[in-house]
Amino acid sequence: MIYNALEIMTPLLIAGLGGLFTELAGVLNIALEGLMLAGAFGAIVGTAATGSLLAGIICGVGAATLLAALYAYFTTRLRANIFIAGLAVNLFSAGVIPFISTGLYGTKGVLKFNAVGQIPHLFGHVQVHIPILQDIFFGHNVTVYLALLLVLFVYLILYRTPFGLRLRALGKNEELLTSRGLSPERYRIYAILISGVACGLAGSALSLRLGVYLPNITAGRGWIALVTIYLGYRHPLGILAAAFFFAVMESLAGAAQGLIHIPGTVLLGVPYAVTVIAMVIYSIVRHNRLRRQRLYR
Amino acid sequence: MVRRRSPYGNLTATFIAIGAALVITFILLSVGSKNPGKAIGAFFLGPFSNTYYLGNMLNSASALILTGLGVGLAFRAGVFNLGGEGQVYVSALATTMILLRLPALPGVVGVVIGVLAGCAAGALLAGLSGLFKQLWGTDELITSFLISAALVPTVDYLIIGPLRNQKSNLLTTKEIASQYHLLRLLPPSHLNLTLIIAVLSALLLFFILYYTVWGYELRLTGLNREFSRYGGISIGVYTVMPMVLSGALHGAAGAFTVMGTYHASISGFTSGYGWNGIAVALIGRNNPLGVIPAALIFTYLAAGANAALLHTDFTFELGAIIQAVIFFFITAQIWVPRLFPSRKAEVDA
Repeated sequence: MIYNALEIMTPLLIAGLGGLFTELAGVLNIALEGLMLAGAFGAIVGTAATGSLLAGIICGVGAATLLAALYAYFTTRLRANIFIAGLAVNLFSAGVIPFISTGLYGTKGVLKFNAVGQIPHLFGHVQVHIPILQDIFFGHNVTVYLALLLVLFVYLILYRTPFGLRLRALGKNEELLTSRGLSPERYRIYAILISGVACGLAGSALSLRLGVYLPNITAGRGWIALVTIYLGYRHPLGILAAAFFFAVMESLAGAAQGLIHIPGTVLLGVPYAVTVIAMVIYSIVRHNRLRRQRLYR
Repeated sequence: MVRRRSPYGNLTATFIAIGAALVITFILLSVGSKNPGKAIGAFFLGPFSNTYYLGNMLNSASALILTGLGVGLAFRAGVFNLGGEGQVYVSALATTMILLRLPALPGVVGVVIGVLAGCAAGALLAGLSGLFKQLWGTDELITSFLISAALVPTVDYLIIGPLRNQKSNLLTTKEIASQYHLLRLLPPSHLNLTLIIAVLSALLLFFILYYTVWGYELRLTGLNREFSRYGGISIGVYTVMPMVLSGALHGAAGAFTVMGTYHASISGFTSGYGWNGIAVALIGRNNPLGVIPAALIFTYLAAGANAALLHTDFTFELGAIIQAVIFFFITAQIWVPRLFPSRKAEVDA
């Protein structure tokens, strides 16, 4: 089960880490869902066309980043409302992907290609004598380990580089940047582009692990990733914990289906329900903490 | 702060958005059709080709007026209701269930009960998000979306499973009694009394927003929360109430769709009402009177897209693409900053 949870966690974690950049820059990024979907589709199309996983991932990241660039252009240069443009990104993915898919392959449904191979397993050759530990520590494909490395990487960027400092300052107070002669708009664009790259990776991890693209393959993961940012107290390690929590919940729900009879259709709503409950509990805790702080002052 | 820039576009942006949507539609139709001229002709003229299409277009518009009013009201108060999809769907099922369980009552009484049931269901769902926001500062934009997304599959399950009418080939509930059906205005199309009620609701809401203290305070809260609080306005009221009313309007849309159009709940039958309501509210610039022409324009685009798709080689989600383009452009300020560069724009750049 923990093995499963780690696999489920990977796309969530990567998207959440990308969303952290926009969140810290003061942009509530509701476009994660659409960006991830573009990444998932791009990765499968790229891999099918070239037969190379790496080229596929580059296509996935490219598709999501391009869409993020559009999003950034509209919200910064054209000053479009950030939420409405975010919805536009989500709808754009949902509308344009079936169009391209029918144009290329004559179907807007499931895309499965023989050319799409398995993501390599990093530690396939390592042998430990306890089978469970073997799976949990060494049995995953590359993306799981890369996602964990990414946590460290994102932490270093955000807290150990001038770029990270500026980004965090931007979210707190725009004038901190303008007073130093830096453009807040530029840093906001960087943040949105980074979230695009991350969502491209997350989408690729999602579709390439299965080896297929399914319509609406993200199934709300972009929204859950957004919530993990809050639950993780806007910190990479917190996001790791929150993403792991959601992944465990999801694999529990999957396991529960075998034990008690829950209709499959209802199960589709469970991730959203868990997310909203977690979000409300988080805000209650935060609210009480803020109030206590105010009392002691 | 970009976080909560006011979502009112200007009129130029509205025209640019609709123009951009048309351009993209033409490009896609040219790519997707062997005979683009015919497809584009169908796009413009299809919705007017007979009373059936025309009536159905007006009927879709009337539901969108209601959801558009709901979205716009929340926007005006500075809160976001992204849960329209679920609110309409859940309320539609609630109305159907109540009407199926009622003993034989006079039609008017049943209709009133049906509408109240729908409004109550929608108000409850959206109100929950408003309440969370008021009590603990939980972001209503995210919770309203999540609550809605969590409930849609459950409603799907209920319609497909326990509540399904086994005699029908469709995935639908039983049909409500005929005395609760609303009067059809333009048979054989689905156009019914909903249109009149929706227009009256828009007028009423306009009056409330612009000619009552309540409306004034609501708009002021939407413009500047801190200022309003300083001025002695109870912010909490204008966080929860607009969400409750917004949900109730979505609920009304669900209830009227059942009583006026389908007479039952069909799996996925209100899909798109919530998102389209957002588009309509934005085109109508969140003004209740603006929502009426906005709903007409939007349904015309959607109906035209459907008519044109009959002439393409493959079907695709043209509606979603049109909507995405409108959403991208509707709040963008394309010409204004260039023609009149303000001091602030220079500082930013």
